[in-house]
Amino acid sequence: MKSVAVFVVLCLGFVNANLKCEHKIPDIPQAWIDMDNSCTNVVRDHVLEELKAALQYLAMGAHFSRDQINRPGFANLFFKAASEEREHAIKLIHYLLMRGQLTSGVTGLINNYKLAPNVTVWTSGSSALKDALNLEASVTSKIRELIKVCEAAPAFNDYHLVDYLTGDFLTEQYEGQRDLAGKLSTLEKMTGQHGELGEFLFDKELL
Amino acid sequence: MKVVLAVFAAILAVASAAEECYTDVVETCNNPSLKQEGVLTKCDAQYGGIVSAESDLQKLANSLIHRSFDFLLMATHYGNYIKNRPGFEKLFRGLSDDLWEDGIESVKYITSRGGQMNFKNVHESLAADAGSLELYELHSMSKALDIEKSLAKQVFDLHKETANHRVDHYDPEIGHHLEEKFMGKQKETIRKLAGHAKDLGNLLNEERDPSLALYLFDQYLQK
Repeated sequence: MKSVAVFVVLCLGFVNANLKCEHKIPDIPQAWIDMDNSCTNVVRDHVLEELKAALQYLAMGAHFSRDQINRPGFANLFFKAASEEREHAIKLIHYLLMRGQLTSGVTGLINNYKLAPNVTVWTSGSSALKDALNLEASVTSKIRELIKVCEAAPAFNDYHLVDYLTGDFLTEQYEGQRDLAGKLSTLEKMTGQHGELGEFLFDKELL
Repeated sequence: MKVVLAVFAAILAVASAAEECYTDVVETCNNPSLKQEGVLTKCDAQYGGIVSAESDLQKLANSLIHRSFDFLLMATHYGNYIKNRPGFEKLFRGLSDDLWEDGIESVKYITSRGGQMNFKNVHESLAADAGSLELYELHSMSKALDIEKSLAKQVFDLHKETANHRVDHYDPEIGHHLEEKFMGKQKETIRKLAGHAKDLGNLLNEERDPSLALYLFDQYLQK
């Protein structure tokens, strides 16, 4: 009997000497976590959309940096846009964290293999600007879809998220689109008569 | 005699390589049909070992981008209200930002040497590593250390390739780029993470519940 007790004590001692790699999971009330699942899911999906856009811009930057293309101004514009899209993804992640989300399923939030851009070659600066403008338009329409889902959940109209998406995200989308459309218009006019020279000069403006 | 011939041949080869663009221009300008196409194909930025190193450089850039997202997810995990460890979140977010910038710089570097980026050319080690990134503190620190070491190994392997004295591989400029942009920084990061892992291991090797030690370590990481 004694030896059993000693054995148990030894075992406890052994367990206690081990590394404590894990801490306890606290019990927090859940009433404050009020986002509807359908809404959370579409916002999670949109994180990936923003990162896809980031990689698409990175591909544009890579293309215009090439020695055989040599449009450093365009490359500069697109590399900057890539980092901005990544910032948008991070802003959405921070929003979800603030609302008590992302306590599980974080690993599946970004699938690297879905991010690689499909289009990596452009025939001209103007064709890339057109693609960029269309990309922004598609992101804008996806944000509008998010808003629809998040205000339509039967039990919970997510006013706060909708306000955030409308005020912050949509404002940036519309301003960005106007900027791209303006640039494209100027470039089209410059290249109309002067082709290569127009694009060369416009590229230097973007530096 | 043989040696002299070899040297002569080498000089000829160098001379012709150096004149490729000029020759191309002369040929194109003198040939009406080529002139019509108006395309010079030999005037590029490639020299040294870029052609043979291009694929590995693409893989390195993709690894940097991919790993920057892994660190972003690790930071995200520590930012949720249950983990609530702003210090760990800051550490991993910092690693993510660094790798993202390095990824972009690597893409620019490839093009600076006359190469092209390919976002689908992924290093084998990435496909093999698809575990969960939602980890306890000590686990995540060890994971971060392993990731940084795997990137450092990729840089070393590439450096070795470019130090290969075969004519089409040798490229001290790529080696220099890797040394300057990666090696010093990676050394610092790896040392820092190893120190953190060691400290955490010691702090958690106590009889008490680790929560207070983890809290204090997180406070330290926030500074």
